[in-house]
Amino acid sequence: MTRLADDPESKFEASLISQIADGDESAFATFYQRLSSSLYGMAYRMMNDAKEAEDVLQEGFTYIWRRAGSFDPSRSTAFAWAVMIVRNKAIDRLRVRQRSERLRERAEESLVQQTDESSAEEPTLRERSAMVRSALQQIPQEQRAALELAFFGGLTHEEIAERLTTPLGTIKARIRRGLLRLRDFLHEEI
Amino acid sequence: MIDEQTQELVLQYLLGELEPSRMEAVRTQIESDAELKTFVNEMEETVGSLAYSVQPIAAPPDIPQRILRAERGPARAVQEAPRSRRAALIPWAVAACLAIACIILGVDRERVRDGLSKELAALRETNAQTSKALTQLEQKSADSEKGLAALEQKNAGAQTELAALRQKAAEQDQAVAALTQKDADSQKELAALRQRNLLSEVKIATLTAQVAKFQQTNAVVVWDTGLRSGVLLLDKLPPPAPGKDYQLWVIDPSKPIPVSAGVLSVPSVGLIRTSFHPTQPVQSAAAFAISVEKSGGSTKPEGQIILLGK
Repeated sequence: MTRLADDPESKFEASLISQIADGDESAFATFYQRLSSSLYGMAYRMMNDAKEAEDVLQEGFTYIWRRAGSFDPSRSTAFAWAVMIVRNKAIDRLRVRQRSERLRERAEESLVQQTDESSAEEPTLRERSAMVRSALQQIPQEQRAALELAFFGGLTHEEIAERLTTPLGTIKARIRRGLLRLRDFLHEEI
Repeated sequence: MIDEQTQELVLQYLLGELEPSRMEAVRTQIESDAELKTFVNEMEETVGSLAYSVQPIAAPPDIPQRILRAERGPARAVQEAPRSRRAALIPWAVAACLAIACIILGVDRERVRDGLSKELAALRETNAQTSKALTQLEQKSADSEKGLAALEQKNAGAQTELAALRQKAAEQDQAVAALTQKDADSQKELAALRQRNLLSEVKIATLTAQVAKFQQTNAVVVWDTGLRSGVLLLDKLPPPAPGKDYQLWVIDPSKPIPVSAGVLSVPSVGLIRTSFHPTQPVQSAAAFAISVEKSGGSTKPEGQIILLGK
């Protein structure tokens, strides 16, 4: 089965991480340039606040700079590794504060205004985004909703079950099945 | 084959949901099971790809510089500072001070925690009040904007109305000017009509000689039909023969005989201008005549007609 890790873009990003581990600042700048818009978009969606998303991004990339040597290219892609780092930083913050609905609305409004037009000019990013969105659309809605709450909302399985008033076992199954189907769709696309 | 329960546990591990101790146990389990490790790797890749589904946003470009600047700072200080023996003791002194401070802080910890809790509560209260005030201000601002918009609308309406009134006033001024002009024209026309009316009431008749002797005589009668009287102008009329007089007659077709307008008094030389009134009412003065009559005049023409005109 072909994996994302095997495509040239992923290999290049993995080599950048290797150079970063050796203290290469220009590799760090290139890696940031390639991934920051996606990671910032994710952090923004999770935090609903531009300043906090920026802080999360900075904390995540500080971690990458310091711990690039711990990246194992045989385990996952550099992108997935960076996503998990930034997501964990966001979850750390999400779990210590409650956002007001008002702030959320403002952030969503500004999110729409700050869409990065330049990203549309990067074919690789655009193709990957289109591929993932297309794969997500093929997953049943209830599985997708549970996945998004877990990934972007930073909610635990128990919290999702409570919010959706659905048994915990059902939520676990939905997330598991959703991810398995997403994996299969992505591999088929590659 | 990985059972569903293990898969779910691994996913919770990947999503960062497990307690630290549980995380470590799962990590150990993954490292010892090649099939599970492969599954975890695939799932990590899959979970990570979810970030592609989000709309990318341009991130601040200077974050790498910020990170590198912050990371470089302490390292350079360590490399560049010359370390003397006394300086080498500094970290130990600092550590000792920190230890003492920790003891003091530990003692004071509960008190500080209470204080912080109170301050946090107060800050939350202040935050809530600020949010409320901000909401009210936003509401007021929205109301003011609405009011301003209404006033602007009203002002625009008033301006339009004013422009219409000015236009109407200008039109009325033009109408008044036109009427004044018309009135002046009417006055002129009326004056002309009056003049024409006056002229229509006046009849002018030139009398011509009926006898050769009076060929040089000029005679004109101006007759006012309204007043039924007239004026006679005579020039170069020789004096009448002794025992004779000149008599003026008005010929009215409704009368069987001419109506006498009186005997003329003729000086020796010069222009005669005399007004006259017929002795009987005249309906229509069709012609005028002067005849030679016996001295003192006659009731009807008996002598020779010397001048006649219509």
